[in-house]
Amino acid sequence: MKILLVVPAYNEEKSILKVYKKITEHNKHNQLKYDCIVINDGSKDKTEEICIKNNIPYVSLVHNLGIGGAVQTGYKYALEKGYDIAVQFDGDGQHDINHISNIVEPIINGEVNMVIGSRFIDDNSSEFKSSLLRRCGIKIISFFIKLVTRKRVYDTTSGFRAVDRKLIEFFATDYPTEYPEPVSTTKILRCGYKVKEVPVSMNKREAGVSSITAWKNVYYMINVVLSIILVGLEKRK
Amino acid sequence: MSTNLSLYSGIFCIFIIIFVLYLVRRERINIKYSIVWLLLFLALLIFLLAPGLLASVTKLLGFQTSSNMVFSLLIAVLVAINISATVINSSQDKKIRSLIQDISILKKKLEDKNKR
Repeated sequence: MKILLVVPAYNEEKSILKVYKKITEHNKHNQLKYDCIVINDGSKDKTEEICIKNNIPYVSLVHNLGIGGAVQTGYKYALEKGYDIAVQFDGDGQHDINHISNIVEPIINGEVNMVIGSRFIDDNSSEFKSSLLRRCGIKIISFFIKLVTRKRVYDTTSGFRAVDRKLIEFFATDYPTEYPEPVSTTKILRCGYKVKEVPVSMNKREAGVSSITAWKNVYYMINVVLSIILVGLEKRK
Repeated sequence: MSTNLSLYSGIFCIFIIIFVLYLVRRERINIKYSIVWLLLFLALLIFLLAPGLLASVTKLLGFQTSSNMVFSLLIAVLVAINISATVINSSQDKKIRSLIQDISILKKKLEDKNKR
């Protein structure tokens, strides 16, 4: 099984090396090896220099595309290089490398097509659950996904996800640019793929700023909900 | 409409037409996108030159006054143009995104090859 970690990075000069070191460290001590590809989304800081200096494998986007476009580049890369599993792994240190084996396992066993690392399945699992308001938003999104797909997804905005080969192919050609996580989850559920959530804990980001800023929140919610409803109105494939 | 107002409106229409043609010549607008603007202001110009036409079309479409008709139709046409521009914009977004991704991956492959 060839496993690729897709690490989207926008201005992550402070954390990208740490994240990479954790991956190499992990590979030294474990049987399950992960390849990684940093997708540098037109960073204005030294992210690219750090990648070159430390021999971190990376693709540098010639223009900034935003998180959706960056992650999709990773799926395209995984498709071309023949990976069996692609894991989305944030470049800001929020995700814990030790959870990847849990996330990947149901896919290796052929149970499901996508696994979401979820902060909300089991109450003890995560110290960092983000703010009350954010959690409320995630619940609303969860409600609409349930409405459209009849399936319950708890951590709808988690960017810690693994997909199998079929979904690598799917996402390489069709991945939403904006608000990619909830919208893509809805899409693949509608298409009849299987999704499972596995409890993970997440850390507070080590540096940098979240792609979702405070004043954009309302706009974000309207957009996501509208997108989900529109996916729901599409014909089932 | 008063003669003065007709005159100013006519000058305005001609100015817009010339301006659009100028933009086309400077290659700031593609010809295919200029046509809709040229046709729109040409139509306005025709209405200005033939006031009788304006009155009869107003009657035909059932508007109370000519100005109401002109405003309504203009707004409808502008909305249509704007929506089609948004459609074009979105499809270009998609193309540009996929181009950026593919070029960036190609660049990476090329660099890997040169390293070996």
